Amino acid sequence: MRIKHLLLLVVLLAFGAACGSQAEEIAPAETVPAETAPATAQSAPPTTAAEVSTTEVSTTEVSTTGVSTTAAEGEDPEFPATVNGVVIPEKPTAIVSMSPTATEVLFAIGAGGQVIAVDAASDYPPEAPVTDLSGFQPNLEAVASYRPDLVVISWDPGEVEAGLGALGIPVLIQTPAQSIEDAYLQMLQLGDAAGRRTEAEELVSSIREEIEGLVGEYGAPGSGLTYYHEVDDTLFSAASNTFIGSVYALFGLENIADSADPLGSGYPQLSAEYILETDPHLIFFGCALWCGTTAENIAERPGWSTLRAVAGGALVEVDDDLSSRWGPRLIEFVRLVGEALAARPPAGEQ
Amino acid sequence: MSVVVENLTAAYRPGRPVLREVGLQVDTGEWLGLLGPNGAGKSTLLKAIAGLVSHNGAVAFDGVDSASLPARVRARMVAFVPQEPTMPPGMTVTEYVLLGRTPHLSYLGSETPRDLAAARSALELLDLRGLAGRDVAGLSGGERRRTALARGLAQEAGILLLDEPTGALDIGQGQNALEMIGSVRRERPVTMITAMHDLALAGQFPDRLLLLADGRTVAEGPASAVLTVDYIRDFYQAAVEIVEVNGGVAVVPLRQGTR
Amino acid sequence: MTTGPPSGLEAVRLRWGWMGAALGLLAASALAGIVIGPAGLDPRQVIGELVGGGQTSLSETHRAILWEIRLPRVVLGGLVGGLLSLAGASYQGIFRNPLADPYLLGVAAGGGLGATAVIALIPSADPRLLPLAAFAGALAAVVLTYAVGRSMGGRSAVSLILAGVAVAAFFTALQTFLLQRNADTIRQVYSWILGQLSTTGWGEVAILVPYAAVCGTALVLHRRLLDVMSVGDEEADSLGVSSARVRGAVVVFATLATAAAVSVSGLIAFVGLVVPHTVRLVVGVSYRSLVPISAVTGAAFLILADLAARTAASPAELPIGVVTAFIGAPFFMAVLRTTRRYVA
Repeated sequence: MRIKHLLLLVVLLAFGAACGSQAEEIAPAETVPAETAPATAQSAPPTTAAEVSTTEVSTTEVSTTGVSTTAAEGEDPEFPATVNGVVIPEKPTAIVSMSPTATEVLFAIGAGGQVIAVDAASDYPPEAPVTDLSGFQPNLEAVASYRPDLVVISWDPGEVEAGLGALGIPVLIQTPAQSIEDAYLQMLQLGDAAGRRTEAEELVSSIREEIEGLVGEYGAPGSGLTYYHEVDDTLFSAASNTFIGSVYALFGLENIADSADPLGSGYPQLSAEYILETDPHLIFFGCALWCGTTAENIAERPGWSTLRAVAGGALVEVDDDLSSRWGPRLIEFVRLVGEALAARPPAGEQ
Repeated sequence: MSVVVENLTAAYRPGRPVLREVGLQVDTGEWLGLLGPNGAGKSTLLKAIAGLVSHNGAVAFDGVDSASLPARVRARMVAFVPQEPTMPPGMTVTEYVLLGRTPHLSYLGSETPRDLAAARSALELLDLRGLAGRDVAGLSGGERRRTALARGLAQEAGILLLDEPTGALDIGQGQNALEMIGSVRRERPVTMITAMHDLALAGQFPDRLLLLADGRTVAEGPASAVLTVDYIRDFYQAAVEIVEVNGGVAVVPLRQGTR
Repeated sequence: MTTGPPSGLEAVRLRWGWMGAALGLLAASALAGIVIGPAGLDPRQVIGELVGGGQTSLSETHRAILWEIRLPRVVLGGLVGGLLSLAGASYQGIFRNPLADPYLLGVAAGGGLGATAVIALIPSADPRLLPLAAFAGALAAVVLTYAVGRSMGGRSAVSLILAGVAVAAFFTALQTFLLQRNADTIRQVYSWILGQLSTTGWGEVAILVPYAAVCGTALVLHRRLLDVMSVGDEEADSLGVSSARVRGAVVVFATLATAAAVSVSGLIAFVGLVVPHTVRLVVGVSYRSLVPISAVTGAAFLILADLAARTAASPAELPIGVVTAFIGAPFFMAVLRTTRRYVA
């Protein structure tokens, strides 16, 4: 079992290193962010990409000599580190990420080599060591069998933190971000936890810059426009006080869900009548994959054909993962919104 | 309407027969009293005649094999009044008595004035008119008996099977109930079989008696032939004295120990 | 002729006075449901639109809201409420158990399992299969509940309810297992389980109408037999009624009614229990009145509950099951306090 894991690790690390070197080759071509339209995450951390490959090589050496021993012991002055109240005694080399967002962040800050397992839903980046661990119903034994020195989860159904804590495994809980700033904070936390503070800071500032650029490019048309973001096909929506809402707020869009959420739960279920009467300028739907929502079946909903967003073609699909993860790919989410704004006719015409 | 039972055997569990090859005959308009100690099979015999218990052997009404009759047709010939009838709380006496009309209605049909008239006449016969609108849950023991009997009468069947019609009644109520049943017989040509436990009354009301013990017929005939000191000692394990009364007999238990 | 309380045929016939009151309540609820809503439609215009068949000054949007969202929702609420109450009243009669409600016997869990199996195992299935699958699961659950209850000792309230609890737990476990094995369908299944009247249009009304027509007719026709059944199986048999056949027929139609309602609206609690109980308090225990009046009252109740679900937190929606449980649970406790004799 152990040997199998080690083998897997070596293979994955080799794969990761290969990707890293690829990124190194690509990176110089993309040092100016957000130029090419079909952006991918590879363009996100351009400045860190070079470092990714170099540091990963060193971790590969460390890992192959043994997962539980750390060559960095005593060398890294940042450890033991206290992150969000969690004490991490030494620089982790065997991280289990049970959160798809954390997985994306860890890889983006060059800590991919320190990650030995990610949960089944962590499908990005492709080189992440996917396992059948469930982030919804974490199995303590399964997690512990990886002998992790750090576990990241996005929610604790009850006993993960205490159970793994009893085994001496630090657990970092990163609950869903409520805003973009929240997302940045979590990226920096992961930087601290993985001993990659600098890379995390660079990631955050590059995302900031890129978002500023996108908002500058598309920002103006947003003001005075209303939107409805559909979380699922039973008309649950996301209010402005959510991560999703904070993305739209960048462009000055007005959220029709806010008045339905006086208690600030963040995710009110809207009445169909209200949506029809409010007649938002833009409709974003974030449940194409899971609910099978399409622009066509939105238009077929009873009464919805009268909406100007339907008539004007302002129905925008937001990839399920983009709107439900608050990691480095939030740039893509921002870009999608910006492009949707640019694509629709000027405000006066609808 | 006559009843003929031949070789009737019934068992609730295989190998444990409750009735063993019982035979009997009751002529039209006759009243047969079924006697026997507890567990002798009186109730089971009544239910078997009513077609409610599966059995071997033949039951015929006016020569027609009961097994060949649809349940609804059979229910128009035989009315069965159980020992402890279920009376749903909240139901009025009239509603309850009208249930007796069920075999006269089609599956999804409903009552007609003719059915109401039958129920009314049954209520009248049993002196229940004053209770017609009462909740059955609020009736006294005697009133419950009469109400249950009224449902049986409303069924307008030629054969009336009564299981312990005086059960749980005091001496006055019991006597009254049997007087009522006797008066019904004067009004209508109804054949009756009643399971009875009160041997003081059993010797005076039915025309004929049949003594069951352990699922078998052990004696049959007029009261004076069935209610004898020997039979009662053998099958009830009781020491009694037989008193002749009113052209019938009454059984009086005798104390055995010294005073 | 007759004196005092009902002693004539009117005692065993549908009590039209109460039926009229129930129909009046239904009409009033429907009108309120149509006129009131999150979108501020002018009531006079709405009524004009309904009466005039579309020749009014309502805007296109408001017209769409009225005809395509509000109206089908009111009709659907009425159908679902009616079916659940009808099924509840019938179950109570046929099991001679005033605590029997469609969900207590595992119908909901069975229906949920049936629908989940279709969604999880046959992703390409026609959505119109859902009611059928829900029906199959529901029927299996009821049959199992009944069999288990019998084996535990007859049809007493306790053994039946315990059997229902056990069967519901078993079916729910199977459903959860299916969901875990097919995690990608969880969302779709949950939206069905927690489903409500909110995203529905005429399509779901069309699915439900045939079931409502068949089950409604069948159960209303069986109401006299439910009275006969109230004296127990043996006595019902002695009256020439085949209690097994009547029970079979009523269980099939009541289960079909519940499954159809559940399949388009999800699990709406307490309607099938509270409405027949309340109606029984007012119109008496005879199922001749209880069954049809419960159906009409249940329709009115659910339309009103849905009105609350739509408007209480407007423009947000509350799950209607939450509203019915919120009203139903305390109300039911009050009803139980006053009707202990029926439960004993």
